[in-house]
Amino acid sequence: MKIAIVGGKNKADFLIDSLLDKEHSLMVINDDESFCNYLAKTYKIPVFNGEYNKIYTLRDAGIENYDIVIALALFDSDNLAICQAAKRLLNVKKTVAVVSNPKYVDIFNKLGVDHAISATYLLSNIIEQVSVADSFLLSLSVEHNKLMLTEILLESTSPWVYRLIGTLQLPENTVIGCVLRGNDMLAGDSNLKLMPNDKLVILSPPEIQSRIIAVVSGKSK
Amino acid sequence: MLGNKKKSVIIAGCGKLGSSIAGSLSEQGYRVTIIDVDPLAFRKLSPDFSGFQIEGDATAINVLIDAGIENVDIFMATANRDNANLMISQIASVIFGVKQVYARLYDVEKEQLLKGLNIEAIFPAKLSIQEFERLSQIEIEE
Repeated sequence: MKIAIVGGKNKADFLIDSLLDKEHSLMVINDDESFCNYLAKTYKIPVFNGEYNKIYTLRDAGIENYDIVIALALFDSDNLAICQAAKRLLNVKKTVAVVSNPKYVDIFNKLGVDHAISATYLLSNIIEQVSVADSFLLSLSVEHNKLMLTEILLESTSPWVYRLIGTLQLPENTVIGCVLRGNDMLAGDSNLKLMPNDKLVILSPPEIQSRIIAVVSGKSK
Repeated sequence: MLGNKKKSVIIAGCGKLGSSIAGSLSEQGYRVTIIDVDPLAFRKLSPDFSGFQIEGDATAINVLIDAGIENVDIFMATANRDNANLMISQIASVIFGVKQVYARLYDVEKEQLLKGLNIEAIFPAKLSIQEFERLSQIEIEE
């Protein structure tokens, strides 16, 4: 895919590294000349040095028709302008913006940015859940927070050990997607018996998550 | 005779433009709230200014809500940066449905980003060219 990364410093650096691993075609746009030189030397990718606040910079960098534009500038307003210019004027398919203010996630979505990501927002979601259980391992929100994926370790003290999945009384709209046992990934079939140290990957609505974590860790009925 | 209830106005950015308009509207009886991140900027306001001054970042949503954006009649974006004005004018118009929204933009290219939106853009560069044309009787080709 053709991906453009606009602005940012540390975030851009890290992102470029991880995207190149996946063999995407990248264009980096940044206003800091020395940072541009550093990126060009380190990653051998096209780098365009220019003020990303100007629409002609984006145009001149040749990102028309790109698949994704990722806006990592310091100011939320700059990221909004970059994404809107990319989408409306340069026919870019998807736009992603980093926002510093979590309240802007929703606003940016309403103003046409496909994905607005707030570190604070994600962090607070995770911290909220970490405080509920020790055996809770990972939480991922999918589909704009409509679906929660929770990875939880089944301790030997859990009421769910040695039980068949089919006999468990799961809350509404909750599914055990799969079970990670050692190096194996097992499907969450109803006749699978859960063992201690299994890692369960559970899909549920976000509001059910804390209840599930409490049930699995044996902290509630 | 019924009291003439004048409209409410929020002006984001107390620069030369913002402060002048704030002063004039306040004199005419409009209920004006002006926002600026720098408290010294409010010195530009005339001593007769009788509206509200809010010290804060107009690009922060809670500041806009404190200023009353949810119910305001007129919103003017006259902050320093074009992108800030683009963002807050869209928040006013699209998110909060403010009926009259104005944004001052220096970069004429940005006009395209407001297409289809209920936001009136004011371009000092364009206006200056028009004024030059008028004064000199010379037509300027764009």
